[in-house]
Parts: sequence; C-alpha cells; structure tokens
Amino acid sequence: MERRRPQPASVVRRRLVPEDPRRVGDEPDYRFTLANERTFLAWIRTALALAAGGLGAVSLLRDELAGAEALGIALLALSFLTAASAYRRWALAETSMRLRRPLPPSRLPALMAVGTALVALAAATLFVVDQL
Amino acid sequence: MSRRDRPTERFDVGLQHERTALAWERTAISTMVAGVFLARYAAEASHPGWAVIGLLQVAGGGAVLVWAGWHYDELHGPLRRGAPVVHPSAARFVGLSTVLFSGVAFALALADVLADLGT
Repeated sequence: MERRRPQPASVVRRRLVPEDPRRVGDEPDYRFTLANERTFLAWIRTALALAAGGLGAVSLLRDELAGAEALGIALLALSFLTAASAYRRWALAETSMRLRRPLPPSRLPALMAVGTALVALAAATLFVVDQL
Repeated sequence: MSRRDRPTERFDVGLQHERTALAWERTAISTMVAGVFLARYAAEASHPGWAVIGLLQVAGGGAVLVWAGWHYDELHGPLRRGAPVVHPSAARFVGLSTVLFSGVAFALALADVLADLGT
C-alpha cells in the first residue's frame, strides 16, 4: 500500500478531531492497534470515574461539607478535559504507528496526576477545617 | 461464527483480543453507571429535562456492551486473516458521547452552584 502523508486541514479542526488514521501509512501489528484502543478506553473510563466523583461531590456532599461544590466542579472540569482529548490522543498515536514514527508526547498524564492530587489535597483541607 | 469455525489452534498469544473486548465491556458498564449518576443528579436538581442525556448514556452504554460481546466473536475471522482490526467509528461514538456527558454534567453543576451563589 502506498504511503501518504496526512493532508493539511484547518488547524483548529485538526487539533480537536484528527482525521481518520486509516487514510495514511500501513496497518501496524494488530497487537499495537488493540493496545492503543485499550489505552483510549482506559482514558474514557478515567473521564467517567472523574465525572461520577464530581457529580457525587456536588449532589451528596453539598450540605455536608462547605466547598464540596467547588471540588465537584473541579472534578467535572478534569473529566471534560480528559474526555475531550482521549479520541485525539488515540488518533494521533494510531497515525504515528501507521507512519512508523515515534508516538506523540502528551501532557495529559501529568495534568491528570497534578489535578487529582490538588483535588485530593483540597478535599483533605476542607475536611480538616470542617472538623475544627 | 458457527461452532465448526471455532479456532482450533492458538493464534493470539497474549490474548490481546480478549483483553481489548473486556476493556470495551468495562467501559460500556462504566458508561451506564455514569449515565445513571447524571440522570439522578439532573432529576434531583432543577433540570429534569437533562436527565434524558443520562438515560441516553445508559442506552448507548448498553448498545456498546452488546456490540463488544458480538464483535469479539466476529473479530476472530479478520484477526486470523491478518485483516485490519481497528474500529474508529466505535471509538468516535464512545469518545463523543463521553464528551457530551461530561460537558452536560459540568454545565449543570456549574449552573447549580452559580444559582446558589446568587440566592
């Protein structure tokens, strides 16, 4: 199969919804394709878990803990960011594998680690303040 | 796939295919649970109409769950022939529905908090 380079698209569209990876390069080893798919699904589950946590904080803790709503909003915002970048990340990784290029770097794991740590820290602080 | 066509030799070392099918199923179940959360939250807060998004999420998760189980069986053929196994449409459906779900959840919660601050 002839290898083609990705066609230029508008920058905004390319950033949000990358083109179908099947248009370029060659089919990689199916194990890599499936591993990439599992990674995408793991990110989607992370987004779903963050949203469930956020909705739980907003609805269940609302009257129990001052500031719980802000925690919930932060978790829901993290969830939205994760969900919005998961497909893009999958498509970019798939395209790189098909073109035999190195996988693209991603700031998402770092963002997720820092974001979750901050929310946990804030939750602990709110809890301690609430007990005083 | 009929019973006679079942694989008789090991062709998928590491069970990548099965692990991927299970990942789809876990994701589908998580989607349904998250949908129930959103439907409950929207119905209890002052926006019962948005509970429909949560219920759609539950239905969509159920559809993906059924698809994953069916597709697992069906994928044996292409895998053994060495045909492509990638399915961007399913990934796009799950990705977009999760974005819609978390976007709606975020907007509803934010609207609630802002309304609380206003009163």
